[in-house]
This record gives sequence, C-alpha cells and structure tokens, in this order.
Amino acid sequence: MYETIDEINERIRDGSVRVATAEEMPGIVDELGTAGALKEVDVVTTGTFGAMCSSGVFLNFGHAEIPIRMEKMYLNDVEAHAGLAAVDCYLGATAESETLHADYGGAHVIEDFIAGKTVELRATGKGTDCYPRRAITNEFTLDELNQAVMVNPRNSYQCYDAATNMGNRMVRTYMGCLLPGHRNVTYSGAGCLSPLTNDPHFDVIGSGTPIFLGGANGIVIGEGTQSSPGTGFSTLMTCGNLKDMSPDFIRAATMTGYGVTMYVGVGVPIPLLNEEIVRHTAVRDEDLVTEIVDYGTPVRNRPVIRKVTYAELKSGSVEINGEEVRTAPLSSYKKAREVAGELKKRIEGGGFLMAKATHPIDNTKCNKPMAEKGETVHVSDVMVKSFVTVTGDQTVKEAAKLLLKGDTNHLPVIDKENRLSGIVTTYDISKAFANDVQEATVSEIMVQKVYTTTPDVPIDVAASMLQQNNIGALVVIDANRHVLGLLHSYDLGERVVRREQR
Amino acid sequence: MKLLVDFGNGNTQDPAIASAILETGIAASIERAMMEEDGGWVLLSVEDGEEERFSAALAKRGVASRIQTNSVVYNADECVDCGLCTSLCMKHVFSFDKDWNLVVDADRCVLCGRCAEFCPQRALTVQK
Ligand code: SF4
Ligand code: SF4
Repeated sequence: MYETIDEINERIRDGSVRVATAEEMPGIVDELGTAGALKEVDVVTTGTFGAMCSSGVFLNFGHAEIPIRMEKMYLNDVEAHAGLAAVDCYLGATAESETLHADYGGAHVIEDFIAGKTVELRATGKGTDCYPRRAITNEFTLDELNQAVMVNPRNSYQCYDAATNMGNRMVRTYMGCLLPGHRNVTYSGAGCLSPLTNDPHFDVIGSGTPIFLGGANGIVIGEGTQSSPGTGFSTLMTCGNLKDMSPDFIRAATMTGYGVTMYVGVGVPIPLLNEEIVRHTAVRDEDLVTEIVDYGTPVRNRPVIRKVTYAELKSGSVEINGEEVRTAPLSSYKKAREVAGELKKRIEGGGFLMAKATHPIDNTKCNKPMAEKGETVHVSDVMVKSFVTVTGDQTVKEAAKLLLKGDTNHLPVIDKENRLSGIVTTYDISKAFANDVQEATVSEIMVQKVYTTTPDVPIDVAASMLQQNNIGALVVIDANRHVLGLLHSYDLGERVVRREQR
Repeated sequence: MKLLVDFGNGNTQDPAIASAILETGIAASIERAMMEEDGGWVLLSVEDGEEERFSAALAKRGVASRIQTNSVVYNADECVDCGLCTSLCMKHVFSFDKDWNLVVDADRCVLCGRCAEFCPQRALTVQK
C-alpha cells in the first residue's frame, strides 16, 4: 500500500490531512503497526533548534543615485563577503564585529534585521567608469532591502558527537564550556525529533523539499556541505526568506571563548508514502547511538570515550569511568518541539503543501577530511636535541654552572633511570641565590609539575600549550618519560613565521 | 538559606563565625569564601528559619551579614532552554522540568559566576 504526494496535498487543501510529530510516531506505530500508521497519518513533522554556525544571509541593497561597486562591506561593523557584483553581499553568522568582537557578530546583525532594527552599512569600492562612487554609509531596515535570503550551507546534522573534556584544563568550544576531568557532557540535536534521523536514507527529503526555517517557509537546496550519509552524519543545505522569519525561531548567541553562532529552528515535514518511510519515522531515542568524544584533545580524530544513546543523553546524566556526569543538550528540545508543532499547525491549516524532491540526494556519500598538501610540522622537527640535564642530588651552584654552559633557561631534572622528575629554570636558581641557599640540592628547589610534550605532536598544539600556560619551554619526552629534547617558544615563533612566509 | 557575611575592612579579630556557631548551636557550613588580609566575605549555608538568629549573633561581634537570595537572575525572554547551565553549575541550581523548560532554584547559588559567563544567550546575571 502506498500514497502519493498529490493525494496528501488534496487532503491538506480540503482540511482532512492528519499530521503527527515525530515524537508521537513510535507510539502510533506500536499501536497500529506500520500499515495502520500509514493509513492513519499523512505527514510527520520533525524539528530541531540548535547552534548552526553554518548560516548566513544574502542581502541586496539596490543601487544608489551615484552607483558604487561595493568591494568591502560592513554591517554594524561586521564584515560581510562582497565580491558578488556591486550591491549584494553574503553575511556569515559567525563573522565577528571589528569593535565588539565575540559580543556581536553576523548572527546579531541578522537578529537585529528580523527584530525590525536599523542596521548601518559601510562600503567602499575602487571607483570605475560605471560605478564612480568610492564609499557609502547608509542605514537599512529589513523592509528596505530588496532581498534578504538566508542560506545555510549545512544544518540539521543527522547525528553529532557528544562532547566531554578528559584533560585537566577547561576548554571553551562550540560545544560550550567543557569542564576539566570530564565533569560535564554536552550534546547537540533533537534525537528522535531531528529531521534527518527520520529519513536517514533520503527517501523523501531532496532538493526542493519544503521546510520550516527560522519561522519562514523555506526549502532544501540539496545535500549540505560536509554531508556524509554513508557514515550517518548527513546534513542539509537550506534556504528561506529572512523577511518571514521570527525571533521565536532564530537567535544569535555567543559561545564564550569560541565566538558568535546562530540558533536556528529547522523543521522538515515527511509525507508518509509507504511503510518503509513510516518505519523510519518511528525511531526512538533509545535507537539513536552517538559517541562521547574528548574535546580536550584538539585534533580531528578526537579520542572516543564511549558510545551513548540519545535516550541516555536526554536523561540528564551519563556514566563515564564510573562517575555520574551531567549532560546538557545545547540544542533546545523545547524549541524543537515548538518547531515540529508549528509546522504541524501550518500543514493542518492548509497553507503548507508537500512537494516531491526535484533531485534526490545520494545516500551513500562519505565526507572526506582535508588532505593537507605540504607536510605538518611536528614537535620533533623543531625541538632542540642538544640539551643539558641535572640530577636531583646536584647542588644549586652546579646547576647554575650547567645553565650558563648550556645556553638555556631550562634544566630538566632527571632521576637515576634517566626519567624526568622536575625542572629548574634560571628564575628558580636566581631565587635560590637571592635566598642564600645555593648549597641546597636541586631536588629541593625544582618544580615538579613539568609541562611536557611528545615528538609526534603537531607544532600548533604545542604552541598553544606554551601560550596558554604562559611558559618559555616544553620538555619533550617519550612514553617512558625519558627526555628527548626541549621545545623553546622562541625557536617555535621563528619557525612558524618562516613557514607562513614561504 | 544562605547568609552572606561581610568582613568589611578586616578589623575583626574574633573568630566571629565559630563563636556564633557555638553560641547559637546552629550548624553553618561554608559554601564559598574570599578572605584577604584586609577583609573579605564568606557565604554560609544555615538551616532555614535560623538565619535571623545567626545573623544577630554575628552582629553582636561587629560582623555584618545579610540573607542572600535570588543570587542568579534569569531572563526567560532571552533563554532558549539550551541547558548548558544545567551541566556547568555544580550546585544544581538549574534543571529541566518534564517539558524541557529550564527551572532555576536560585537560592542554591554560591555566586561563582560560571553560568553567567557561559550562557550563550547571556540570559543569566549573578548578583551579590
Ligand atoms: S545556558 Fe542560558 S540559554 Fe541555556 S538554558 Fe541556561 S539560561 Fe537558558
Ligand atoms: S553562579 Fe555558580 S553557583 Fe550560582 S548558579 Fe551560576 S554556576 Fe551555579
């Protein structure tokens, strides 16, 4: 048994359509079976409301009396991408203000436009025969723009990693603040209510699928960037008219320490055409598995801590290493419900019709990571391999002599097995001399907490470690804590600059 | 109930809190404290209904205190119920009700300020 889009649209028009939200579907299918559910329900509405950094708007300002070809554009001090003929721009949500930085960005400009506020445009151009003007400053409200169209290169992730931090330093990420020692977990997505978890094989969603976007009726353009349906991480590229959006469903936000982002509400209706489609909309949070990964490690393939279901995540806490850890959704489940509910209302009201996708989305595609041409520099490429060490039982005076000889400010202290046990710096030695304790042993004055790294660590990671801890050098060690070298911030600065100039 | 004890310019020499505990027999626990040589403050948790009596015992020793309530102010219009604060506050001030609305139990707050710093919507303010 199957239905057609035309039959469903007929029912939407005559007001007899039956719509359920994705949250209601598991219960309906339990009660009626897939065949019964197909008979009873015509459309399932989905919804999600979360931080969607990959958002922005195309804006058109119209031509001025003396026209200008705008080549650099700022909206309330946030740079927009010009380079699109003369009077258009694309304003990205995460672009930050030149003056207010992370407190105000593209997302806030978009929010101000939607709220009916006036936005200042500043633009410059080089001046040509056809566009003689070189600079313009003007004010606009959303009504005064010819077009304002939101385009999201990717949103509605089918599934997303949950985040924790196994390190000993707080990290501030796009997944929010992650406390050291895995004291919290954040996750994203609405689970069983999310659009793409209800149509994982793109049986109905494709180019041209009508959707709810930020309060407006929008459409799916096609597969989103980074989309990877083959691995369960698909995304959508979407667009909608900014003029129809509402602050209830689209909000600017700042993730402290990361930057500006935009919360966007997206809802996709799924017309139930056959039992296979029904089955997919009956998905439960218990069936949706993702991974908790360690955001304390800033590499692409972050270590996986454990597998977890959305049901566990939504319960408010999960177990990691035998400890209860609190979970936070980041996306708003309440708003996701409102999106699905609002979409349901629009369909029932007859104002929102289904459409067959004009172009299907390849459901086998897998996303490729960036292949870096030109090799990554590692700690082993930059570290100094000739260095002097000292043992804990040597005197401060001896250490001072070694420091002078070694032309360094850092002396790793090693034990009998040649393993790193501490560090003394010129500062520690001077302090010892100032306090008249130069006959003391090194172990009495050394600092035991040594910042270390390993040879295979990318240089940028080591650089940020130096910076974050405000220190001059890292001791490079192997797995047995044998000292292999020293990584000085000054060597590194030079190396990094030189690389950039190449 | 929370009591914010203000040690002003640090002139107090008495162990005021300890003496007040002994005198009143009220078990007070220290939630947070900031003490320097020239003064500071201590946030105490005392049994509900006993705060006035404890406060009076402190006042007798020249130490000012006041009841600290509604420490964290929540702007429901700004909040999008993202829940980040629920995982950041170690005092469990924030939680969700069954409909995923944020619930704020402001009297548990110990004024660390973390939730306000990280709320993506800047919907929280901590006031002492
Ligand atoms: S972090 Fe802010 S926006 Fe998120 S739930 Fe808490 S108060 Fe609301
Ligand atoms: S200030 Fe600290 S203790 Fe108070 S609510 Fe915020 S996170 Fe919790």
